[in-house]
Amino acid sequence: MTDALLTITDLTVRFGGLVAVDRFDLTVPSGQIVALVGPNGAGKTTVLNCISGFVTPTNGAIQFAGRDLLRLPRNQRARVGIGRTFQNLQLFASMTVLDNLLTAQHSALRATILGGLLPFGPARAEDARARAHALATLDLLGLAHYAHQVAGTLPFGAQKLVGVARALVVRPQLVLLDEPAAGVMHADVLDLAASLRRWRDEVGTTLLLVEHNMSLVQAVADSVTVLDYGRKLAEGLPQAVLSDPAVLEAYLGSDGAASDATVVAEEAPNVAN
Amino acid sequence: MVAFLQVALAGVVTGSIYGLLALGIVLIYRTTGVLNFAYGAIGAVCTGFMAILMMGPRLPFGLALLGALIFSALLGMGLERSFARPVLRAPVFTKAIATLALALILETVAQQIWPQLSQAVHFSSPFATASVRVGGVYIALIDVVILLVTAGVMVALQLFLTRTKLGIAMRATADNQDAARLMGAPVGNISLLTWGLSAVIAALAGILLASRTGLMNLSFLDPVLILAFIGAVLGGLESLPGALIGGIVIGLLDNLLALILAGHSLGPLDISDPGIRQALIFGGFVLVLLFRPQGLLGQATLRRV
Amino acid sequence: MSDPASASPRSAPPSAWLRSRWAGWFIAGVGVVALLLVPSTYDALYGFQAGFQLHRISLIGIYIIAALAQNVLTGYAAQPSLGNAAFFGVGAYLLAWTNTDLHQPYWLGIVIAMVVCALLGLIVGGPALRISGTYLAIATLGLVLVTQSLLDLWDKTNGRQSYDLTQLPLSLGDDHTLYVFIVVIVVAVLFFVRNILQSRVGRAWVAIRDNEAAAEAFGINLTTYKLLAFVISALLTGLAGALYATWATTASSSSSSADQTIAFLAMIVVGGLGSIVGSVIGAIFVGFLPLLLQQLPAIVSAGPIRIQVTTLQSGIFGLLLLLALIFFPEGLRGIVDRAGLLMRRLLNRHIATGASEGVER
Ligand SMILES: Nc1ncnc2c1ncn2[C@@H]1O[C@H](COP(=O)(O)OP(=O)(O)OP(=O)(O)O)[C@@H](O)[C@H]1O
Ligand SMILES: [Mg+2]
Repeated sequence: MTDALLTITDLTVRFGGLVAVDRFDLTVPSGQIVALVGPNGAGKTTVLNCISGFVTPTNGAIQFAGRDLLRLPRNQRARVGIGRTFQNLQLFASMTVLDNLLTAQHSALRATILGGLLPFGPARAEDARARAHALATLDLLGLAHYAHQVAGTLPFGAQKLVGVARALVVRPQLVLLDEPAAGVMHADVLDLAASLRRWRDEVGTTLLLVEHNMSLVQAVADSVTVLDYGRKLAEGLPQAVLSDPAVLEAYLGSDGAASDATVVAEEAPNVAN
Repeated sequence: MVAFLQVALAGVVTGSIYGLLALGIVLIYRTTGVLNFAYGAIGAVCTGFMAILMMGPRLPFGLALLGALIFSALLGMGLERSFARPVLRAPVFTKAIATLALALILETVAQQIWPQLSQAVHFSSPFATASVRVGGVYIALIDVVILLVTAGVMVALQLFLTRTKLGIAMRATADNQDAARLMGAPVGNISLLTWGLSAVIAALAGILLASRTGLMNLSFLDPVLILAFIGAVLGGLESLPGALIGGIVIGLLDNLLALILAGHSLGPLDISDPGIRQALIFGGFVLVLLFRPQGLLGQATLRRV
Repeated sequence: MSDPASASPRSAPPSAWLRSRWAGWFIAGVGVVALLLVPSTYDALYGFQAGFQLHRISLIGIYIIAALAQNVLTGYAAQPSLGNAAFFGVGAYLLAWTNTDLHQPYWLGIVIAMVVCALLGLIVGGPALRISGTYLAIATLGLVLVTQSLLDLWDKTNGRQSYDLTQLPLSLGDDHTLYVFIVVIVVAVLFFVRNILQSRVGRAWVAIRDNEAAAEAFGINLTTYKLLAFVISALLTGLAGALYATWATTASSSSSSADQTIAFLAMIVVGGLGSIVGSVIGAIFVGFLPLLLQQLPAIVSAGPIRIQVTTLQSGIFGLLLLLALIFFPEGLRGIVDRAGLLMRRLLNRHIATGASEGVER
């Protein structure tokens, strides 16, 4: 077992009277893909929001690469090596896809406003390198044909994939993916699975994947953690966890009529909030 | 003490006029999302219409008032159909600047029809000179009228919005236009009603101010309008009582500061100057917003990711 | 971001990329030369009136800078501030002060105006981090009113009727020189602002406009970049104000009026938010159209009907503004964008046919 890159201990989040996350522990080993699954409203997005700083937990600690994450302002978390996608896209909608990926490299670039004054010089050279890097990343993910299209005009599924590219472009140590496959066509989900595995194996990226699409989870996850009402319900290898009766019940309700957990994946993408 | 009361009262009275205008501003802003820079022009045109009725056909005050209020309702609804509709779906800045264009057009048209109103004209009212005495404090009759009308408008609006079907539909529209439409609220008519109603309020504010000063012209509400905007924001843009309170606070502060600073100077600097007063009020206003970015009675909106 | 370089089609063959890049600079160069040729054209056209006419159109340049400043703040960094006329007035007064009272060189006055306004922009930007939307717009509108009153008070305290710039360099008194001077500054400002907007900083501003949460998730410090937008905007508006005082040879508190500040917003709204071209079009529309309307004949008579046009000017302007907003709610830049697209299509077809001919031979 490799070292833990991310360690969440005793995480609790309360929104008023609602306990969204309840004494949750999670360890994400370096270089692995950990899936976080659970029914709607289980608190998965909230966990990701704690890691990237959009939600301040009521209690608990988060360690990342030996650092106390919760003391770090959220705009510093990209710099230390955390990237993410959002369940509801949150792309830079008016920019081209290429500019989205350029902007994502913000903390990797140095140019200040003085450097930006001229159309040549080190700032432009740096920019040109970032541009080339962004195009290479799009190429790797098979999205190069979108490069010059305005992000907000793309179909939902394509925007989801652009979101993934935007998170991966700076090669962060840890990438948080919030339902990257929701609304994505089946063929593209297979490609996505291949890409994520490749990223893990060749780049060494660690992934924390929140996903309802169980075929994607099965295809890529090294381990699965199940969250229900903010609590950890099960944890372990994908095969074992996803066939656990308690997990199926949490997902499908007590009648348990449908036995195929991927039914959940067929739900309409949740774009609310 | 008496002087203080006298000044405070005058402040509340001026503030009431800001507050009335702020009410109308908030009404339109909430239901149609328009930041209405033409609101002063609407009030001034209606007041001008009344002045003309009294000067030309020599109508008595009451009749002219009735005429002006009917005119204002029609004007408001006419503007909604001709102006607000076409820009309804435009971005918020576009809508705001469009009202600026509207103000220019309104003033020009009014000037063509009533050229005499481009200069200040006398505005006579039956309350002009009378006053009443309460305790040791003299109150001009017009000031009493202003307070009563303002209170009346506020109460009537609240009753309308909370007790009538139409008013409730109007609030629903303000909260969420699409949801209100789905639930069968007549959204189009509500927008019409809002513009008509707020034009009547603008006319009332203009007529009251003109009655108080005895003068008016086509741009006499412009400086007042900005104070009304500030009052509306201070109160919280979302809330009608907030708008009224915001307006009154601004008027009250202005008068009290005038009293406190009167006759003082710092070296060559005359601190009783209105500029200093404005700066102090503005400083306080920004301070309030720093602690309550949604104004005194506004509600904070949360954004989730 | 519809600016040429960011839209340069990388996936197209490199020759096409080069072509579009150089084409942009070439058009800009031609434009500058044309602008610099305007004075001699006017001499030929207007004779002894040329100076007067040049002086009038110089004003457009000043408004272009102000509109650009407003657009950086509102169109790019998405800060709906109505406070820019405060810097416009302060810039004008600072130049008058250093020039008339302190007898400092002109250029030093300009620099002081810019630096002080930049600092003031930083101060105004602070509260703006907490106050947003319409609240910010009205609060900053209040700032403009206060600034106007305080400038008035300064005039009153010093017992002056008007604050004239008495020590201006003689050459700037010449309308031809003033025109060239302003053109040069405007071109420089356009050049620098364009570069900034296409750099890391410009992208950070647009990111904040598009999505604050995502911007933060990718390491953009909202505080830094919002303040930076306020500073740059105030600096440029201060420059515009100082130039305005130079143009008018006097500083007046009406530079900090509510009308003036709303006019700056109107410029970018009618021209197009988040667009350099839009700023220029908007500055011409709002800053110059009224002057143009003044040149209409005072009275138009058709048979028995006599219309006094002079009293209609502001109404006509309002009507044109309203029509522009109704038909181009995203700004008049839409016209230019469409024209550009058409041009490019024609050009491509031309090149395509030319290329295939080449192959045949
Ligand atoms: N900022 C917030 N304020 C108040 N309540 C919140 C907030 N964010 C989330 N919640 C609530 O917390 C609970 C958990 O939400 P969360 O978004 O984490 O669920 P999830 O597991 O991501 O669900 P889904 O699969 O639908 O995305 C829900 O009941 C939600 O309504
Ligand atoms: Mg979620």
